[in-house]
Amino acid sequence: MILSVLTPEKQVFEGEVLSVKVPGALGQFQVLKGHAPLVSSLKEGRVFITIVNGGYQLHDEASGEMQKVEEPRDINFSVKGGFIEVINDKISLLASGVDDIVQS
Amino acid sequence: MANLKEVRDRIASVQNTEQITKAMKMVAASKLRRAQQAITQMRPYTNKLNEMLRNILSNLGGDANTSFGVERPVHSACMVVITSDRGLCGAFNANILKAAVAKIESDYADVRANGKLSILCIGKKSYDFFKKNYADCKILNDFVDLFHDLSYDNVARVSNKLMTAFEDGSYDSLSVAYSRFKNPAVQIPEVEQFLPVAKMEAGEEKKSGMLADYVFEPDKDELLEQLIPNIIRAQFHKFMLDTHASEHGARMTAMDAATENAKDLIKELKLQYNKARQEAITNQILEIVGGAAALENG
Repeated sequence: MILSVLTPEKQVFEGEVLSVKVPGALGQFQVLKGHAPLVSSLKEGRVFITIVNGGYQLHDEASGEMQKVEEPRDINFSVKGGFIEVINDKISLLASGVDDIVQS
Repeated sequence: MANLKEVRDRIASVQNTEQITKAMKMVAASKLRRAQQAITQMRPYTNKLNEMLRNILSNLGGDANTSFGVERPVHSACMVVITSDRGLCGAFNANILKAAVAKIESDYADVRANGKLSILCIGKKSYDFFKKNYADCKILNDFVDLFHDLSYDNVARVSNKLMTAFEDGSYDSLSVAYSRFKNPAVQIPEVEQFLPVAKMEAGEEKKSGMLADYVFEPDKDELLEQLIPNIIRAQFHKFMLDTHASEHGARMTAMDAATENAKDLIKELKLQYNKARQEAITNQILEIVGGAAALENG
């Protein structure tokens, strides 16, 4: 699955992921491979991304550009709200107020 | 001889000016690059947002009934005019103001005559202009210095306020005068209707028959209700970014022209200076030769 996280100001994440857990309007849910086409709004909360293997791109605050990260690490961050669209194993996460990005 | 010194002083002063305009051009160029980057970085977000909207609309099989699309008879209106804070960018601000005035004089003439026209000024130049020339309208200056902080959240304050004002009926029509950024050399002053929003169409997905069977959460109507303000906010943000980039583009072009002009002027003055110098030398030689000749003859 390809996930792309977009905010009005920049692209935050782009890469191959195993699963994404988001705070949906009706409760938290997880998107895995083969998920049915879905559009949902998000409320305030944390997004958890599980990564299969490295080679994803993450926005780098210092340089202001996308930076390639090779080693697989799980990422989570908080959003103020937004939307998620899933279609054909492509996920677009439109979020406002992406903050506090943690890689573990 | 006095002439010689005068020309020399003028050359020095023009050279000074050239240096300043050159520096301003360089500053504008680097600011322009950043402003352009902000526009490109926003594009994927707005594209996806619009795509989602079209998806939902084609699944709804009709148009959206949004409170932001209600066309009411126009009793009161608000004109939002976005200009820069500073001058020295050619006819940039004048063009936007001209477009805004044209809109006020045509579509909003009646509203203005009834004293129900407000003008929201963003950027010092528009505030100065309307305060002076449109004293009969209500001039709003809460956001004059919006350009100081162009973060999304800060700009969203304005669009949120405008949307609330439209919803509670304070204004029946809102337009925005801004400058569309085409490329660094071309800026197009434009007036666009901001609210009520134009009818949203389902778009091409319908024709292509690639309609995916989406699951909507919570449901389509509620999603639309959240999606549309986001789209409106993004659109307003784009107005700001476009004007910002246009300003620097216009300043770069203007300063480039000024630098070229200064160069021409210096060339001409140098010629004048050399001529005057040559003339002075010739005069001196003539004097010496004349003096020598007088001595010999004597």
